[in-house]
Amino acid sequence: MNVSLFATCLVDMFQGNVGKAVVEVLERLGCTIDFPENQICCGQPAYNSGYVKESKNAMKKMITTFEHAEYVVSPSGSCAFMFKEYPLVFKGDPIWEPKAQALADKTYEFTEFIVHVLKVEDVGAHLEGHATYHTSCHMTRLLGVTEAPFKLLKNVKGLHYVDLPGKDRCCGFGGTFSVKMGNISGEMVNEKVHNVEETGANILIGADAGCLMNIGGRIQRQGKPIKVMHIAEVLNCQ
Amino acid sequence: MAMKTSDDRFHHRVTKELENQFMRSAVSSAQERFQTRRLQQAEELGHWEEWRAHGEEIRKHVLENLDYYLYQLSENVSKRGGHVFFAQTAQEATDYIQSIAKKKDAAKIVKSKSMVTEEINLNVALEELGCEVIETDLGEYILQVADHEPPSHIVAPALHKNKEQIRDVFKEKQGYDQTEKPEELALYVREKLRNDYLTAEIGITGCNFAIAESGSITLVTNEGNADLVTALPKTQITVMGMERIVPTFEEMEVLVSLLTRSAVGQKLTSYITTLTGIKDEGDTDGPEEFHLVIVDNGRSAILGSEFQPILQCIRCAACVNACPVYRHVGGHTYGSIYSGPVGVVLSPLLGGYDDFKELPYASTLCGACTDACPVKIPLHQLIHRHRQVIVENEGKAPVSEKLLMKAFGLGASSPTLYKMATKMATPVMSPFTKDNTISNGPGPLKAWTEARDFPAPNKDNFRDWMKHRTKGGDHK
Amino acid sequence: MTGRIQHRETFLLNIAKQLGRSPKTELPRPTWQYQPQDRVLKDATKEELVAVLKKQCANIHTHIVISDTAKLSQDLQSVVDNYGGKSVITWKDERFKDYGLSQLMTEHWPQTNIELYEWNAQQQEENIRQAEKANIGITISEITLAESGTAVLFSSKDKGRSISFLPEKSIILIPKSTIVPRMTQAARWISEKIRRGEKIASCINFITGPSNSADIEMILIVGVHGPIQATYIVIEDR
Repeated sequence: MNVSLFATCLVDMFQGNVGKAVVEVLERLGCTIDFPENQICCGQPAYNSGYVKESKNAMKKMITTFEHAEYVVSPSGSCAFMFKEYPLVFKGDPIWEPKAQALADKTYEFTEFIVHVLKVEDVGAHLEGHATYHTSCHMTRLLGVTEAPFKLLKNVKGLHYVDLPGKDRCCGFGGTFSVKMGNISGEMVNEKVHNVEETGANILIGADAGCLMNIGGRIQRQGKPIKVMHIAEVLNCQ
Repeated sequence: MAMKTSDDRFHHRVTKELENQFMRSAVSSAQERFQTRRLQQAEELGHWEEWRAHGEEIRKHVLENLDYYLYQLSENVSKRGGHVFFAQTAQEATDYIQSIAKKKDAAKIVKSKSMVTEEINLNVALEELGCEVIETDLGEYILQVADHEPPSHIVAPALHKNKEQIRDVFKEKQGYDQTEKPEELALYVREKLRNDYLTAEIGITGCNFAIAESGSITLVTNEGNADLVTALPKTQITVMGMERIVPTFEEMEVLVSLLTRSAVGQKLTSYITTLTGIKDEGDTDGPEEFHLVIVDNGRSAILGSEFQPILQCIRCAACVNACPVYRHVGGHTYGSIYSGPVGVVLSPLLGGYDDFKELPYASTLCGACTDACPVKIPLHQLIHRHRQVIVENEGKAPVSEKLLMKAFGLGASSPTLYKMATKMATPVMSPFTKDNTISNGPGPLKAWTEARDFPAPNKDNFRDWMKHRTKGGDHK
Repeated sequence: MTGRIQHRETFLLNIAKQLGRSPKTELPRPTWQYQPQDRVLKDATKEELVAVLKKQCANIHTHIVISDTAKLSQDLQSVVDNYGGKSVITWKDERFKDYGLSQLMTEHWPQTNIELYEWNAQQQEENIRQAEKANIGITISEITLAESGTAVLFSSKDKGRSISFLPEKSIILIPKSTIVPRMTQAARWISEKIRRGEKIASCINFITGPSNSADIEMILIVGVHGPIQATYIVIEDR
């Protein structure tokens, strides 16, 4: 299966390890990975701030960049959802709406792709530890991927899973919200870390780089002995 | 109380409310209780998504045909002896109600809970005439005695106050000398207000749902105060937002089923009262005179716009109870009688962007509100839409942000520039970086690093890694 | 007497304008895509509905007694005794006699110092005065909703509204034949009445247990402005 990787800017810039893990896991599952060099940001930061016009340039560039792809896979529920939102952004545009729709139709979040397209639930990973999982809002509510990560985590050998209290609640990232409303965001992530701590887990797993950067940043600031891992990194442990 | 409840700046209010520890713990535990009960009721009812879809189709149909149903409603109210006054503005509504109060020579007016009367600042208008206006809903009464504090929650207006504070308010203002036990406080109010119901000349209510086919109004309460307000005074005035209407009893039933479950996690509240016109001949209780005041006050401007879905709202506050931002800042931060996600969407529409331009940013667009809404209002999308309007039509976005976004428009759309930026990030950020971490960042990063660390940009760029291994066919 | 209607035309014209069309004067009854309400307790028998009602009464802080015409007097007496007797106010309603309560109400109570007041359309002020001072109000449900534990009362000149909310205690007689699954059936029944051109009661009250409030620290207080205690007596009537 030919997969075009949509790495996202956060992975591109800050979390190269996540990108590497995605590539290695998917290759192990028999996929051929291609990384379109011209990919940029999906436009979400500007789009969500209300700068729809400004974000359209980035979106068009992304549509073109991935036009050739068979499947587009992204290690971020939020960014994958942004692709799904493109047809709405270009609604009524005779050229770009169908193109946007085509991109949306072949885009998958990483765990969703493994479970629903590759039909694999056990990737043969092995990781010792007590882990809890942060269900990110865009991935769960907007993209509707709720089961896939849990199916995959259940089959990771050595991993003991603990449910996160208040798991449905936003961690306070919200893109530009985290800097625009920094103090509210800080209180939100503080509560999230408190809940993570309550589980007694020593690993926090998530599937969205933004949330993980937010929660991880707070964990690090407080010096908590909790390791933050993207689910791709977990599934890449053997 | 008008819609706007504070002249303080938004960010001041945030800082102030974040420091209010009692409020925050009260709000977070209330949210959890409301949420748990709502989900439990939805589960017990079964087919919740179908219920929501039905609620949505009813509300949409009504909005699309609003003029028809308001016509039918007014005809039927009139047939049963009620007067109907259509008020385009808050001023027209309060002027009309003042004129009735004058005609009735009203000294005392009892009221049951109503958001729209707060929105049009009715109490102040009546107090100007020298009328004593008494809020009878327990929460509203507490706030009224506490020097007219604004409500902090649509359904539980006094959520931000604890029982000791309530005891002290009654003690200071009315010489209350019992304990802070909620039962004692409630019994005190029950006894205190009994006589008011019996002696008031006018009773004023809001309206949960008007029923077009019969000209009835439906009031949903737990305390029974709306029944007393409408049964005992000789004149009843009901004020309704023009969109609060359903075709028949059958649709009222569906929306009430959604409302009580979503608002308070009850199958039905203690009283669902449907009142039709004036009292019948020979009836003892019920009003001899009934006035229905139908208020536009900015609603019609929402009709036909992309914001129309907000008029589907049935004021259950499920979105408020689900909102992670409201959880920390409470209701007063919003500076509007409408708080939480519905307040974020509605306040700028009814009260203008000048006073409420920050509200659409007080959201992470997490979608919890949209999920909770029993009539499927796409709340987070409407919040996003406000941001777009603020940027494009209102010109209210900060200049620095505009420049940044302009740069984004250029930078993000050019692969060359973008790649350069990803490479430049490391050297640019290096003065702030220590052990691969930024804990005191520059510019907008400062707000981030107040509470948490920021990762340093990758030293070994993912792109380079990817390119390298593909080129070398290195598949280790 | 018909009421005045003011400023309607301009108001409705403006709405039509905003909706981008001319005013609508005719509209067929809508057909709905969804009708989930009919599924609730769809095939439940009367006995099952009684069981549902009984269970729901625990949630709404309402005492429930299952009785029949033979022992109704006795059951009502014991509820009244439990409520401290003193004074009772009732509707003027033939059904009390039909249920065999005449002897209890008009002979036994006066003899045992329980004051009985029957609503009297000729004495309006006295009605309210009596309702206000009565310890117990007794009414009869026209339709009873099993799911929510709700009695439906229709007001009339002989059936004062105040009886159900001014006295401290409320007793509602529930003929078993009036029990339906939920509010749906009641609403439909009322709607059909309206469509046939019949006049509906000026007050139709759906009452679910005693009054209550959670306005103080979310702590449930039973008994606020309306009754503090409530009992339903279900009568096996056929």
